[in-house]
Amino acid sequence: MSQAVVQVLAAVAFAGFAALLARRLRLGLEREIVWAAARALLQLAVVGALIAAIFRVPALAVLFVAAMVLAAALTSGGRLRAVAGSRRHAAVAIGVPALSATGLLLLVGAFDTTPRAIIPTVGILIGGAMAATTLTGRRLLEGLREQFDAVETRLSLGDDVRTAVRPVVRGAMVTGLVPAIDQTRSVGLVTLPGTFVGLVLGGASPATAARTQLVVLLALLAVELLAALLISTAIVARLTAPGERVVLPDPAPDETGDRRPWPFPWRRRGGPSG
Amino acid sequence: MKSVLGIDWESRRRGRLTYDRPVTGDGPRGLIATDVWLARGGRDVLRGATLAVPPGAVTALIAPSGAGKSTLLRCLNRLLEPDRGTITLDGVDVRELPPRELRHRVGLVGQAPVMLDGSVRDNLAYGLRSPLTDDAAAAALTAAGLDDTFAARSAQELSGGERARVALARAVVRRPAALVLDEPTAALDADVARQVGATLRSLAAEGLAVCLAIHDVPFARAVADRVVGLDGLPVPS
Repeated sequence: MSQAVVQVLAAVAFAGFAALLARRLRLGLEREIVWAAARALLQLAVVGALIAAIFRVPALAVLFVAAMVLAAALTSGGRLRAVAGSRRHAAVAIGVPALSATGLLLLVGAFDTTPRAIIPTVGILIGGAMAATTLTGRRLLEGLREQFDAVETRLSLGDDVRTAVRPVVRGAMVTGLVPAIDQTRSVGLVTLPGTFVGLVLGGASPATAARTQLVVLLALLAVELLAALLISTAIVARLTAPGERVVLPDPAPDETGDRRPWPFPWRRRGGPSG
Repeated sequence: MKSVLGIDWESRRRGRLTYDRPVTGDGPRGLIATDVWLARGGRDVLRGATLAVPPGAVTALIAPSGAGKSTLLRCLNRLLEPDRGTITLDGVDVRELPPRELRHRVGLVGQAPVMLDGSVRDNLAYGLRSPLTDDAAAAALTAAGLDDTFAARSAQELSGGERARVALARAVVRRPAALVLDEPTAALDADVARQVGATLRSLAAEGLAVCLAIHDVPFARAVADRVVGLDGLPVPS
């Protein structure tokens, strides 16, 4: 059996194990795990073919990056769908910092201006920005619901909305940035991140891999902070009504992660019907 | 640039402006709510509510639980926006006042007051336009039935009754034109409730328009000059 087949089978076995364990523990996540794994398999197969095409026709890289931002915005915005225009806001929060940082890195010559360098770098930055956007946005909505009385107290004492929600926004941004900070702090000790592993597996020297990884990791910190700031600002602005009031949206069904993924429309055991 | 990404930036900017004109109009003094309608969650919470809170008097608002008393009080300082009807402060429609100015002039003490982080003094000083003096802090605490040693205490460690009184002091220290209280005696024992009642009467005697939404009818009759329902009419004895 070739190594390629063994790799795929091993990956599928791990996903199957995770789904079975989730089912055994009644976490209600087994379909999400299977769907996520199936999507990953399909998406990576397609992306492998696409990137091969992009390496031959570099102009396609622009379209590919736009598609990445769009997909990230749809994913993150979907998690924040309680907020009107969430996908547009997520697109700005993800796209602006990730693309700006990539542009800056290319401008100063940190990476070659080739699709082979640009695509993985911008992909990592978009992925980080997406995670920060989703985490910050969700935590902000939860925090506003939990602390709404405190927010209204501050408004009653003469604060404007921006000041009244500031403690909640700060808490949400901290939550949104914890993974990035932990990843940066523990790099090399707990984890060997993707860029490093990829470069070493691809034949680069460990020193080159470490240097490249450092650039990406530290850029990620700034990108994720900016993404968290942009999505918080957008959500607060969206929830601000005339008269310095905060109007909370009704929670969207998928805000709790309870949405049935499309290819598995059957009922969750013990869950709501429909 | 009025709207970008669906956000009304102009109205956000206006909300931060301070009011540089006197808050007086040609209409009646005090807080007047006329035919206020408000639906929430698909249900009419307020259906033509009417309330007059004249200056220099204590007005008690009595209505059954769930009838919308708290909702109406939150409309008075524009934490909620009615769907229909008007609310005026000293003759000026509250929608014409910058919200922060309105909220400085209409103090609201909620049913379960939230203490902000820090000491009681920090809570009293929160959002004030000028520094809080020790005398002003002591006077506000005394008015709420607390001694001035309370100022140094952590606001998060107060009991329910102490929180209610600190919230009253926090509203009084702003020297509002109107004071609106939601069930102010709910967490107080009878002696302290009487003390708070006396404070409200003395604040009204100084010219404040004082309104309390309350279910304790005997207390309302003992403290208030007027006892009214959500239709604005006096509640018969």
